[in-house]
Amino acid sequence: MISILIGTIAFAILAPVVGCLLSGFDRVVSARMQGRVGPPILQPYYDVRKLLEKEHASVNAAEGVYVTCALVFAVLAGGIFFGGGNLLMCVFVITLSSLMFIVAAYSTRSPYAEIGAHRETLQVMAYEPMVLLMAIAFFMATGSFDVNAVLGLDAPIITTAWLAFLGLLYILTIKLRKSPFDLSMSHHAHQEIVRGITTEMSGPTLAKVEIMHWYENVLFLGWIGMFFVWGSPISIALTLVVMVLVYLLEILIDNNFARVKWQLMLKSAWVVALLAGGVNIAVLAFL
Amino acid sequence: MLTVVFLILFPVLAALVLLVVRGEGARKVVSIGSALVIGAGSIVLAVQYLGQGPAFFYISSSYVDMACFAVDVVLMLAVISYGVKYRKWAAVGLAVVAIAMAAYFEFAVAHHAHVAQGLYIDDLSILMALIIGIVGSCICVYALGYMHDFQHHQPEGADDRRPAFFALMFLFLGAMFLIVFANNMAWMFTGWEITTVCSFLLIGYTRTEEAIENSFRQIIMNMLGGLGFCAALIYSGTYLGTLALDEFLSMGSVAGAAVAIPVTCLAFAGITKAAQMPFHTWLLGAMVAPTPTSALLHSSTMVKAGVFLLVKLAPVFAVCAVPAAMVMLVGCLTFLLCSLMAISQSNAKRVLAYSTIANLGLITACAGVGTPEAVWAAAFLILFHAIAKSLLFLCVGTAEHHIGSRDIEDMDLLFDRMPRLARYMMLGIMCMFIAPFGMLVAKWATLVSFAEADLVLLLVILAFGSAATFMFWAKWMGKLAGIAGQPENVEATVHKSEWSAMGLMALLIVACCMLMSVISACVVEPYIATVFGTFDEAISDWNVLISAILSVIVVAILFAGLGRGKAKKAGIYLAGASVDNEGRVFLGAMNKPQPATSRNWYMDSWFGEARLTKPGKVLCALVIVVALAAALMFPVGF
Repeated sequence: MISILIGTIAFAILAPVVGCLLSGFDRVVSARMQGRVGPPILQPYYDVRKLLEKEHASVNAAEGVYVTCALVFAVLAGGIFFGGGNLLMCVFVITLSSLMFIVAAYSTRSPYAEIGAHRETLQVMAYEPMVLLMAIAFFMATGSFDVNAVLGLDAPIITTAWLAFLGLLYILTIKLRKSPFDLSMSHHAHQEIVRGITTEMSGPTLAKVEIMHWYENVLFLGWIGMFFVWGSPISIALTLVVMVLVYLLEILIDNNFARVKWQLMLKSAWVVALLAGGVNIAVLAFL
Repeated sequence: MLTVVFLILFPVLAALVLLVVRGEGARKVVSIGSALVIGAGSIVLAVQYLGQGPAFFYISSSYVDMACFAVDVVLMLAVISYGVKYRKWAAVGLAVVAIAMAAYFEFAVAHHAHVAQGLYIDDLSILMALIIGIVGSCICVYALGYMHDFQHHQPEGADDRRPAFFALMFLFLGAMFLIVFANNMAWMFTGWEITTVCSFLLIGYTRTEEAIENSFRQIIMNMLGGLGFCAALIYSGTYLGTLALDEFLSMGSVAGAAVAIPVTCLAFAGITKAAQMPFHTWLLGAMVAPTPTSALLHSSTMVKAGVFLLVKLAPVFAVCAVPAAMVMLVGCLTFLLCSLMAISQSNAKRVLAYSTIANLGLITACAGVGTPEAVWAAAFLILFHAIAKSLLFLCVGTAEHHIGSRDIEDMDLLFDRMPRLARYMMLGIMCMFIAPFGMLVAKWATLVSFAEADLVLLLVILAFGSAATFMFWAKWMGKLAGIAGQPENVEATVHKSEWSAMGLMALLIVACCMLMSVISACVVEPYIATVFGTFDEAISDWNVLISAILSVIVVAILFAGLGRGKAKKAGIYLAGASVDNEGRVFLGAMNKPQPATSRNWYMDSWFGEARLTKPGKVLCALVIVVALAAALMFPVGF
């Protein structure tokens, strides 16, 4: 409990810094891939600062409250994870955060935001099986649902749960809302209907959404990292390298694929969950 | 013991009084009074017996046995008379068989097996009694206002059958108490059959063609289950020499093979009553009944009798492979397929029905797993499902009377039109599917218990089913959450009795979420300790506590935080010239005002009933047939 409290405070302070830099890094690398120079690495920070300075205007009084809830629960989910708490708890709290975000968009009753909300709901349904199966694979590999169990391992769980790791890698693109799975909101203007789920969010509310994404990105990279940690200090360095590589891979995918139709996203995510997650936990259970 | 007997008999007495009371005022007094007495009685019972371990009461009489038999026969004769009237020969045939079996049991078997301790009470039956006594009687109070409006909506000169309606509701509660307190399985069977026939009559209440059709579907399926129950009684009395539930269970958990046949039969009965595939259609059909009936059938009674029996049998499932496999597979398949089909439904009551069937499937699967952790999860699933689902049914019923539709698409802007009701509904929805509320904590425990037992198939099914659950609840909740302008508030005319029932349910949700660890320590864990001897908690106390704190925060935001922001009001973006922002009207291509409409996703071609019902029925029926055959052919076990 104390560790979760410390974890939450540390995550609340440190994650935005890391997340902001990641986001800047993302924009610079993307620009280079497209043959541009790109913005300064601190550009996401400048953007959010500017958004926060804007007047607070909203289509209704509830939207901002929902978004704040989504942000707070995202922080808590990260705190639970990095505080070494229960992985399932972390998964459930981040799902609660997603729900709050979806309801915020619904509450505006804007047709474009609603389309984004529908798609975001669908995205949650697409990735949720794999996320749960990942947690189960984690349990079967470590014997515990507590994240800090990895610190006592002799070998990282990637050795036994690599299939689930691949599955997670697949749905990570959906969770990070990167092309080709950026159905609910896209950074690429050419494939977006208006602005998807955030259509009606502006000023400080939009700033909160951006900050929430920073938190989320750090948390999801944490999920990636937990596959490579074991009871040795070297593992930390390895994990950091893996996390950077995975993020680079996501940027590469983001820049090389056009948005797919929802049918393909749902079908492929579920097939991957069934094959990668299902087979992995079957192997772990019976061997 | 007096409280137990009182709780069984008092609702019956109330039912008799209500049957003769014609005036609405008098009915109100009697109903509310009886509901209060039953609610208070169940609390007194809990105070008296909680934490004292199981208690058995020496009560046996051949007169009671005969009376139970007589009730069974009268019920079946009633079914026969209705069957003849509406020319439903299958029901008549089943009822004749049921009478024959009951008679055989009574005259050839029952006297071999004397049960000295006819009634008992343990922590599980206390939990059930609280659910029946508080949630059940609360629904009866709600029905007062609802049925007033309902009668009002009927055509002029329609005869007023409300006395029978209220009598049946209270009789239902009495029968449920009998089921949860009877140690004599023959008495339990009588309660079982009373609930079957009561719901038959309640479903057919409106006597429309559809109602009659659906009520007969219900009675046929449940009589099949009843035959299974009766077969188990005959087998148990003949070969095991006992009709006492406790002896039967202890025999079963020591030597599973000896009870394989009767346990499979009982599990079959439980599956039919809990509306598992392929028998789920009776619960869907039950939607034609007035909403309080649906609320009662879905939350605290009827289907809960089915899962109660299955949970009782859990220790036997742990050592008896054939029925356990049957129950697990049927439960899990039902959970998955009904969760998926719920996505395709836009009728709110039908969504609720599919969600009920799916959750019952999960409870059924937990019972089949039969480990202490799974039973813990099952107990909490029963508790939270009862409260949240009754709240949801009551909300949908009230909404239907005030907005004239039970379609989710018509619940657009309910957050403005019926602010209090919409918040109750959102609370009920959140309690059903999202952390940190109780139902999800129970599902979490389910997942842990499956993982600890290495049940890979069940885990995979649970993962996909949970994803579907998110989809259909989230889109419904989103629909409710829409805010635009200030539409007319239409909730001023909601009856006080309806508000009080819904308010109590909402309060119970919050209280149970907050006190989950207390309920676990005082009620559920002691039960598991007496049945299994050991218990390792699936979820640590800290995590339960964090969930409790979080759920209070979410509720506080929902009821007090929303709408308090101080932002400047802006119009929504309609891509081009908008005519009326609040009405979502924009200038279309022909320079004409065009309202923008959007519907939720129902994905009928993916998850439609037409696509999934048949494979589900066939698969589950196959599982049941194979299991019954296996139990008969290899009674000694594998």
